[in-house]
Amino acid sequence: MALSKKNMKICLAVSAGGHLTELLKLADSWQQYEVFYVSTANMVAEKLQQYGTTHVVGECNREHLLRVFLVLFRCVRVIIRERPNVIISTGAAVGCIMCFLGKLSGAKVVWIDTIANVEWISLSGRMVRHIADLFLVQWPEIAEQYSNVEYVGTVI
Amino acid sequence: MIFLTVGTQFPFDRFVRAVDNIFDQGLIDEEIFAQIGETSYKPRNFESVVSLEKKVFDERFKGASSVISHAGVGTIMVALKNHKPLLVMPRMKRYKEHVNDHQIATAKKFEELGHILAVYDVKDLPNGIRKLKDFIPRKRKASPDAIADKIRRFLNSLQD
Repeated sequence: MALSKKNMKICLAVSAGGHLTELLKLADSWQQYEVFYVSTANMVAEKLQQYGTTHVVGECNREHLLRVFLVLFRCVRVIIRERPNVIISTGAAVGCIMCFLGKLSGAKVVWIDTIANVEWISLSGRMVRHIADLFLVQWPEIAEQYSNVEYVGTVI
Repeated sequence: MIFLTVGTQFPFDRFVRAVDNIFDQGLIDEEIFAQIGETSYKPRNFESVVSLEKKVFDERFKGASSVISHAGVGTIMVALKNHKPLLVMPRMKRYKEHVNDHQIATAKKFEELGHILAVYDVKDLPNGIRKLKDFIPRKRKASPDAIADKIRRFLNSLQD
């Protein structure tokens, strides 16, 4: 079925904290679409609930591999249930996981690397870059170092 | 009132303890309110909570004369938005305060641009706090609309 504003579903996958603050600055771009959120902490879920369905999959990072698997499992469940057409993320680990799972299920991937990374792309971003359909960074110096990476502006 | 915040993901004992010690030395003449997340050290000289709801966090932020924090982008964003003088000390991987040392580079960049003050060692904290009183952050020109527009056009391009 052809995609349209009516049937396109967008997944906004983002860790609590700075990543989320950055993502929400871009909310204008998905206003016309059905969206749902995947995030890491219950505390932010209360806030996100008002914008769309929110799945809390827990915190994980590269230091705790067991937790990564648990979060991965929960993310797979979300993908199967929600079937998003597009994944949009500003990071970090949870965004990376959702981008890869989304891609596997046929979704398009949009990644905006956090402004916190001023020297090079984040670890999650470096992995997602290879599968992203749109990859934006927030420092022009970084965009120059990589192919298929664009700089169009900054969220702050 | 100075608002101290360190985010919620990892502990930052080194920082909270240092600020508490500076208080002991009488170098801070203002009250402090702190949001310390997973930090296990409990300050003796000021009130601290683990986390704050977004609304309460924003109120505390707006009501503060200045803010001291880790070099998290979330905090830097809120400080720039509210035009608050902000002093940061980056979390470091070697103390298990974060997964890598990116906060050092973040702090340096925003410091260079005149948006924040930064110290990179606890021994420089007293001096940083002193400077913070007179610090006027440089305003930043952001362009979230340009990014939002780019994403919107990408989403449109997916439709027939």
